Amino acid sequence: MDWSSVLNLSTLLNTVNTATIVILAGLGCLMTDQAGMMNIGIDGMMVAGAFAAVMGSWLCGSWVMGVVFALVVGLIFGLFYGVFVIKFKSDEFIIGVALNIFAAALTTFLLRCFPGQSGSFHPATGTIVKLPSLDFGVIGGTQVSLSVMVPIAWVLVAVCWVMIYRTPLGFWLHASGEHPESLRSVGRSPERMKYLGALLCGMFCGLSGAYLSLGYLSTFTENMSASRGYVAVACVIFGRANPPLVFLAALLFAFIDAAGTRMQGFIDPQLTATFPYIGTILMMLLLALRDQWKKRAMARS
Amino acid sequence: MNRQNRVQYLISLLVSVVLALLVGALIMAATGHNPIDGYAALISGAFGDLSKKFLNRNLANTLYKTGQLCITGLATAVAAQAGIFNVGGEGQMYLGALASAYVGARLVGVSPVIALPLCFLAAILSGALYALIPAVLKVKLKINEVITTILMNSIAIYFCTYMANGPLKTAEKGITQGTDAVDSAFRFSKLVAGSNLTDSIFCIAVIALIVWYVMSRTTTGFQMKLTGQNERFARFSGIKAGKLAIVSMLVSGAMCGLLGMFETFGLQGRFKPDFSNEFYFDGMLVAMIMRYKPMGIILMSFFFGILKMGAVTMQSKTGISSELILIVQSIIIFFMAAEEGIVASLRARRVRKVPTAGKEADS
Repeated sequence: MDWSSVLNLSTLLNTVNTATIVILAGLGCLMTDQAGMMNIGIDGMMVAGAFAAVMGSWLCGSWVMGVVFALVVGLIFGLFYGVFVIKFKSDEFIIGVALNIFAAALTTFLLRCFPGQSGSFHPATGTIVKLPSLDFGVIGGTQVSLSVMVPIAWVLVAVCWVMIYRTPLGFWLHASGEHPESLRSVGRSPERMKYLGALLCGMFCGLSGAYLSLGYLSTFTENMSASRGYVAVACVIFGRANPPLVFLAALLFAFIDAAGTRMQGFIDPQLTATFPYIGTILMMLLLALRDQWKKRAMARS
Repeated sequence: MNRQNRVQYLISLLVSVVLALLVGALIMAATGHNPIDGYAALISGAFGDLSKKFLNRNLANTLYKTGQLCITGLATAVAAQAGIFNVGGEGQMYLGALASAYVGARLVGVSPVIALPLCFLAAILSGALYALIPAVLKVKLKINEVITTILMNSIAIYFCTYMANGPLKTAEKGITQGTDAVDSAFRFSKLVAGSNLTDSIFCIAVIALIVWYVMSRTTTGFQMKLTGQNERFARFSGIKAGKLAIVSMLVSGAMCGLLGMFETFGLQGRFKPDFSNEFYFDGMLVAMIMRYKPMGIILMSFFFGILKMGAVTMQSKTGISSELILIVQSIIIFFMAAEEGIVASLRARRVRKVPTAGKEADS
């Protein structure tokens, strides 16, 4: 195997591009995680956001409206999740899994309402306007251009870190999951904080979906998230809901994905497609083993 | 569950189903279809013309779907009752289908008395062993099984597709992707011509009865329930909770593997990577709606069998996408998952209306 064809600038570019999907979804997931809720429904929120983004972009002819549509739909799904989990105290897992199936079915259904459209969306009239991209020209024989969402996602990682660890808001958000009663005793409503977490989660997932359908690809495809929402959840567990660590986990996942795609010349594409999923499971396994090892070391001392 | 709870549960279920079907009707109307035509097409698709011939093609297909939902629903329930959530049935089903089809194709010409048990064994083992990985990760290392199982679905499906296109691809002409055909003597025979209903439905019935019996009539079933509800309590009462969870997951995986075999040996006669259309998730939804109660799942499977099979006719007759039924199903789950919360908040409102109780409800 020729490693220079696997590890090169375009692999790096693919890594950065793919990672952005997981980074944004991961930021969403960690907001609910901070508020003490496990959100398995990330995948569904992403798919809904991706569909809304394409619709907004196509109907209004502008990517800004695409992003706005995705954010609004993300907020609606976040609120939906919040009402069920916080107000009705439903099981988080059941709501999350049902949300994923619901979003996948709803978007597929709506897509097929357009005459002749199934599988993916290819409108006869009008165009889907993509997110703008930043061009860096040709470097070393590779055309380097990044979607504008890539640097935005990186900035958001920093913003989220500051918000969670350096502002009272983040402190309250965390307290609403860890010690809701202490939060209540200082006159703050834990429910309200949890709602904030759910809404932020929906927004970030919507943004991730918008990037997926308007930046990473340029159309909506049925079930286009390809379980990446679950990968985002795994990255949040791996990164302990700390934005920079989740960011690194997402980069690692995306690198495995990109390198796998590059290896298609040597290994069957059906097999390379499994690499990112195997990598994610191994990541979780290593983390759990390290935790157990630490616990044992603590018990010994 | 005591009697009052059970009555309340049944009322909630009925209300949820009716409301969800109404939402379905609204969606039909909003997308420019007549809801009455839609549901009428669905019913005629599910039952066919019963007056002409009772066990007609349509009803047979509905029964086929019912069996499928039963197995996948009970497979979800077996694991979930013991506190472990198997979302990976789809992958276990793929591996069961591939393994049994491989054995069935290698043993062409061997007497079915010897070969069929080996095919069953291949399906059971491959499904169960694949489920063992997330189970052990969950019990020994507390790794979230929902995530591992769903990611393992993708791994299994890609792997089986690779095998059917690559190393195990048949040399037969006209087959673009698929393994060698299994011996026709091993295949399940059709009960109704032109339908998907094969005599594997009897195997499914036996499995469903055994699962129902073990889960609701034996100590093991009771121990499973205890473990699922409160693992700490179960451990303190001397139940080996971890072992029980792993065994439940093995059984769940084995059932999914078997279903994979029933599908391939019943319909195509060889493994084809597109044999399933996310079958497992349909059954999982039924199990979630019925809160993992085995008898409830068996009965509810028939109702959803009607919806699922009817939706196919609805799509071809009226152009309403069959995905609508999946939407209706997930809405029922939302209602059922929120049932206690909704009932509680309705009660609170009623209390608030009574003036004497106004003080305590003031919050």
